[in-house]
Amino acid sequence: MKAKTFHENIFTLQQGKKRFLATRNLSPGLEVYGERLVQVEQTEYRVWEPKRSKLAAMLLKKLPSPFTNTSKVLYLGSATGTTVSHVSDIVQQGVVYAVEFSPRTMRDMLPICEERPNIIPLLADASKPGSYANVVEPVDVVFQDVAQPDQASIALSNVQHFLKPGGYLLMSIKARSVDSTAKPDTVFKQQLKTLLEQDNSKLELVKKQKLAPLHIDHLGVVARKTE
Amino acid sequence: MNVKTWFADIEINEDGNVAECSPCTQDVQQLAERLLVFQTDPQQIPPAGFDPVQNAIECGFAAGETEYYSLLQQTCIAATRLKIKNSYSPDLRIIHAVEALDDIDEAANLLAERLGIWYGEHFPEAGMLTENLAKFVAENGLRQDLPQDSQFHETARSSVGMEMDAEDGTIIKAFAADLTSLYERRHVIEAYIHKNMEQLAPNLEEVAGANLGARLISMAGGLQSLSRMPSSTIQVMGANQALFKHLRGKATSPKHGIIFNHPLIKNSHPKIRGKMARALASSLSIASRVDAFSGQLNPAIKEKLDRKVRSIREGNK
Repeated sequence: MKAKTFHENIFTLQQGKKRFLATRNLSPGLEVYGERLVQVEQTEYRVWEPKRSKLAAMLLKKLPSPFTNTSKVLYLGSATGTTVSHVSDIVQQGVVYAVEFSPRTMRDMLPICEERPNIIPLLADASKPGSYANVVEPVDVVFQDVAQPDQASIALSNVQHFLKPGGYLLMSIKARSVDSTAKPDTVFKQQLKTLLEQDNSKLELVKKQKLAPLHIDHLGVVARKTE
Repeated sequence: MNVKTWFADIEINEDGNVAECSPCTQDVQQLAERLLVFQTDPQQIPPAGFDPVQNAIECGFAAGETEYYSLLQQTCIAATRLKIKNSYSPDLRIIHAVEALDDIDEAANLLAERLGIWYGEHFPEAGMLTENLAKFVAENGLRQDLPQDSQFHETARSSVGMEMDAEDGTIIKAFAADLTSLYERRHVIEAYIHKNMEQLAPNLEEVAGANLGARLISMAGGLQSLSRMPSSTIQVMGANQALFKHLRGKATSPKHGIIFNHPLIKNSHPKIRGKMARALASSLSIASRVDAFSGQLNPAIKEKLDRKVRSIREGNK
């Protein structure tokens, strides 16, 4: 098997005709959620399943990756930490602030945080950035994957408080969570409008891409903070 | 400006520099408790763009970035642990109990059906079902083992059923005993729900009955969230398919969801079920609110519902 660099610290593994997305394991020997561990030339990689991770799907759908080895990341909606663990692999020298609202899923994520020194768990409500503002530092990337009807405004308020100028917002808009009866395209338009067209938004769209068929009715969005 | 971070209270000048800083000690438990206070009651939030890492190092709280992040992680993990531990509400016990009840029902029905077919092969004349049959088989076993004074003694001797030997008898008797114990467990859990509902949600228990009340709490995900629901949601909760079909514009709106199981609706004429459902749902939502926020039994809720029910019935005559 061969490993190729896909983006900084994100790799693709080639096995015959099959190609997998993978990250370098920050805690070698340990898997997080039952994913495959692959050894290539003394480095251990963790296979990253795009059907289970919106972020992996976004990268495979050719959205740019803003992550570097030392990025500081604010991750909203970390759930049980499967994608967070890959982000923690990517920003090996950086920090991931993982915000999750549900105590039940946070309970499953805590063991992962204990294995990985760069994940900071925050059991808090992403729609109230003030409740974790005394912990989180200015970040390079805000990633958001929450199932809330006011997704875009939650993202915006976090971007305004925490994202450095020139930093990137990555989000996956879940049409079905915003409005289960409206047409997905209408929802995407309306959410993007909230995100980009408000006076104080300071965000410019870099790229957007639907995540079907990996994730149905999801839109991946990358935006940059201008000032 | 005075700001509070997880590691210190900091006084910032008008030009943005630190004027004064009093760092906390590096005690993770204390820091975690401090953090939780801010999370529940955000105040003196640092302004956007404030860099806690540099400040912590300048302040003398941490020697360098490595130490800062290590302490931050330990503190956040400790705080999260505390918060998770305090997040369990007492209604969780009822939710699990009522869900266990559903699981038992499902399993018991399956096993009872099997026993009915199996034992029916051997002694079709017994003519019993479910719980009675299970008890009967668990006590007596095969038809040739019935005692002389049993009312089935004669029918058993002339039965047209299949012959079974002692080995079959042992197995089927044990199977029936398992089923019986499942039914017994069901009664115990039911009593448990009843008792707990009286304590936790007395008004809901009075209006809905223990079982339906517990089911409503379970579907809403807790008494708190049930109390925050509008009564129209309570009215159609459990009729999801019909509701979404309606919202897509392809059907009329559902009149009742899980609350259909309430005798007021179930035993009413179909013509007035819609009215009943509305009246019941509004009483239920008020009852759940009283339960969630005061917890005292208020008989006026049930009385008001009774009056409303009478007027609906009279109006229909």
